[in-house]
Amino acid sequence: MNTRELNFAYKVRHALNESTENLPAATVDRLAAARKAALSRKKKTWPLRVAATPRILAGHAGNFVGSHLSWLARMGLAVPLVVVAVGLAGIYHNEQQRRIRETAEIDAAVLSDELPLSAYLDHGFSTYLAKRVE
Amino acid sequence: MATDKELSEFLENVERRAFKQAVYAVRKDEAALDIVQDAMIKLAEKYGDKPAAELPLLFQRILQNTIHDYFRREKVRGAWLTLFSAIGGDGDEHEGFDVLESLEAELGSPAAESSADKVERAQVLAVIEQEIQKLPARQREAFLMRYWQDMDVAETAAAMGCTQGSVKTHCSRATHSLALALRARGITL
Repeated sequence: MNTRELNFAYKVRHALNESTENLPAATVDRLAAARKAALSRKKKTWPLRVAATPRILAGHAGNFVGSHLSWLARMGLAVPLVVVAVGLAGIYHNEQQRRIRETAEIDAAVLSDELPLSAYLDHGFSTYLAKRVE
Repeated sequence: MATDKELSEFLENVERRAFKQAVYAVRKDEAALDIVQDAMIKLAEKYGDKPAAELPLLFQRILQNTIHDYFRREKVRGAWLTLFSAIGGDGDEHEGFDVLESLEAELGSPAAESSADKVERAQVLAVIEQEIQKLPARQREAFLMRYWQDMDVAETAAAMGCTQGSVKTHCSRATHSLALALRARGITL
């Protein structure tokens, strides 16, 4: 935009500014009322806080409990999770050990020729014995 | 973050121009007042916590959106009125814009009555306002934001939701159209 156009634009601006100074009193009042209404509804800013209800007790105990409860609340979630994980790992380990023990007992019986009853339930072993008798 | 005082000063500083801007767009004082009030409330409610430096751009954007919303509502209302016009007649008959209305208002003001010079000045102002109203909406928005609201090209583009090149084109065309129209009516600035 050249200087001539810019001058023209600023002269228009001047005229418009002049026109705003001659607004009717009723309009000015209405604008002031609108401004006040807007200011009364201004967005308030609150400090960011976790939505936790403050727990207040009387005396020193109140301060102590109040300051430690948030820590306890966090631990209240973590501890059960750890307990469940450790319990599942223990059950798995115990089951593994039990199966190993059973297999070992059968192996030992076979080696010492003391066959347990369960060994006769094996159909392949029955066939083997029948053939051996023949 | 803008304090209550900063927000109040900003609104006080901008309210009259915003009103005129809305009047140029909708051509009805009452509707323009409602639009400015809505825009102020929206700014305070939703962006009252923004820094003071961001308020002009936000307010302009809200004001433009509120004006556009008004036109949308009017369009819907117009469609219903057209539908029922055969039954109820034309209710908008007296709400049409009279180009002489603002001229007469200016002439009737105390300032205009004081001397012939002031009358002439008021007439010139009224003609300028009329010609600004006649500009295409986008050209008028760009022109007023750039040269009246002191917004730079980038801010105007952001408020209008268009490119900076478009803003420059709108401003240039608005200036040319306005100069031609005023010259045609015997006014040279």
